[in-house]
Amino acid sequence: MMKQILFLLCLTCFSIVRAQDVVETFSGTRVINGHSVETLKKRLLEFRIEHRFGDIAGANGGVQQFFGFDQAADVRFAFEYGISDKWMIGLGRSKGSGEPYRSLVDGFTKYRFMTQQKNGMPLSMAVMGSASISYMTASTDLAQVASFPKFSHRMAYSFQLIAARKFGEHFSAQLMPTYVHRNYVAATDVNGLFSLGGALNYKINKTYGIIVEYYHNFNPSGFRSDTRNSLGVAFEWSTNGHNFKLNLTNSRGFGETQFIPHTYANWLDGEFRFGFSISRNFKL
Amino acid sequence: MQRILFITFTLLTLVIVGTSLSGSRELGEIDRLDLSESSVESVLNQLGNKPLPHAIAEVDLAKAKMGEDLIFNGFTTIDGKKSKRISSYFVCTDCHNTAREFEDASSELTANRLTFAQKNGLPFLPGSTFWGIYNRTSFYNGDYVKKYGEMVDDARNSLGNAVQLCSKYCSSGRYLEDWELTAILHYFKKNELLVKDLGLSERDMAALSSNSRSEVDNSRLSAVLLGSYRQSYSATFLETMDRNVRPYGQGGNPENGKLIYEKACMFCHENKRVTYLHLDNGKLSGAFLWRNRKNYSDQSIYQIVRHGTYSKVGRKQYMPLYTKEKMSDEQLNDLVAYIKQIAKK
Repeated sequence: MMKQILFLLCLTCFSIVRAQDVVETFSGTRVINGHSVETLKKRLLEFRIEHRFGDIAGANGGVQQFFGFDQAADVRFAFEYGISDKWMIGLGRSKGSGEPYRSLVDGFTKYRFMTQQKNGMPLSMAVMGSASISYMTASTDLAQVASFPKFSHRMAYSFQLIAARKFGEHFSAQLMPTYVHRNYVAATDVNGLFSLGGALNYKINKTYGIIVEYYHNFNPSGFRSDTRNSLGVAFEWSTNGHNFKLNLTNSRGFGETQFIPHTYANWLDGEFRFGFSISRNFKL
Repeated sequence: MQRILFITFTLLTLVIVGTSLSGSRELGEIDRLDLSESSVESVLNQLGNKPLPHAIAEVDLAKAKMGEDLIFNGFTTIDGKKSKRISSYFVCTDCHNTAREFEDASSELTANRLTFAQKNGLPFLPGSTFWGIYNRTSFYNGDYVKKYGEMVDDARNSLGNAVQLCSKYCSSGRYLEDWELTAILHYFKKNELLVKDLGLSERDMAALSSNSRSEVDNSRLSAVLLGSYRQSYSATFLETMDRNVRPYGQGGNPENGKLIYEKACMFCHENKRVTYLHLDNGKLSGAFLWRNRKNYSDQSIYQIVRHGTYSKVGRKQYMPLYTKEKMSDEQLNDLVAYIKQIAKK
């Protein structure tokens, strides 16, 4: 009898505790280069401007290039939109880093299917799929990836699972297992590439935060020996409706189909660059 | 058998005669129950008062339902098609309750409003409730002229114009089409005041039920009725308190402040429901508001509560201000006391 009463009491207690969604695991829909678990709210249109300068140091940096500010490694403009509070889409155009693509159009969709809750679900999770196409003039050098013998060779895709957790008010962490497929690659490369991303976010206060993001590629033995893993650190500044990120990263291009398989710069050689992203939200 | 038929026939006759008589009874003959359920508007009309300028003879429930949709969602459905949203940024219920906000319908004491909100699970909003707005005769009162200028001239004595002003400017939306305004007015009519809402005394109820009233009685009863609810709500805009005289929560009641924070601030800010700024009961939110307490900027609770922000090109979404009647300085101090508590200062 006593056990039954205790069971009923426990049941009552659990039903009284209302699970509450944990919000702002990351500020904004991007960590640094890659996606965060966050999605835009319904009917919110976001205009994004993202920029990566040239190398700060190394052979192509230094004072002659004004620490990379004379160059633009890549620039992306995009419109992104929240179809529901959990589902968003985006369409962007980027200059392309030239390694190997230029003139890119990308599109993506992201769906958040799980939300961390106080006294409930321990994680927030989302899936993201993206595709990019280069409309650059094909190279006449057939040895180049950018020679694009077929139209489909201009295309690349990525699929990502995003799992994030907020630990208290200040600290959040995220894992991003990712698969990238490029239709046309060099002989020393592979079409399908697995990568595991990780990100940490520390909110100093409501306005400022620090972010680290790293993607570790699982390159098959003997392939892709000239590539590097993407690593970025950022200082974040959030205001009412704006989110600024000032970052340093060794990646040049935007989008999972670019920065995951096509990062060649080495932090240790000073080949990292300053970049920023600015986003502005409009309610439709 | 004949007896049973006779009794049945007699009872039926009594019911039919009784029903037909009750339909044509004058006010003086209304029994107490009917009187309680009568609309304040109809009783005032029968006492010889001028009809309301926006009077609606009978509620059209279909229109009232569309009005309800417009008020709660900003759009409705006509012939299976979604109507054009009134505003991209707000719906009416972001700033206005639709339920009763005071135990005493004639009160506008903000402390009573908060107590009633707590008891009845209502948010503590900057706008006046739509409950009984049909019976009101004055809108955008007091200092609202400071915010909307001469636009309030046409809205002050017209419920329809007041709704249009709110629709276009307060909600950063557009003017309503005629059918939309009509639908909203029918919703208001559906939620008009009834005699039972006014808490009249036994004596006044008896006098209203009496069939032998003089002109003097009618005049007195009209005054009693009109004094039992608000025909208008006051609106006093307060300046941002000088930073040297701000009490910064000293002597404030954090329990009360928690209530205000959750029912006012978090109603819009929790999970960025209406705004871009997320606020919760955590230390980061508290520290953000506490850190800015001495400023004269939008981030200062002393400034934002009294001035709100303004809608502008590129940033139509804004925060409305709280008038003195909607949040007193004492309540603001309670709020700051709670902010100090969650900021752990």
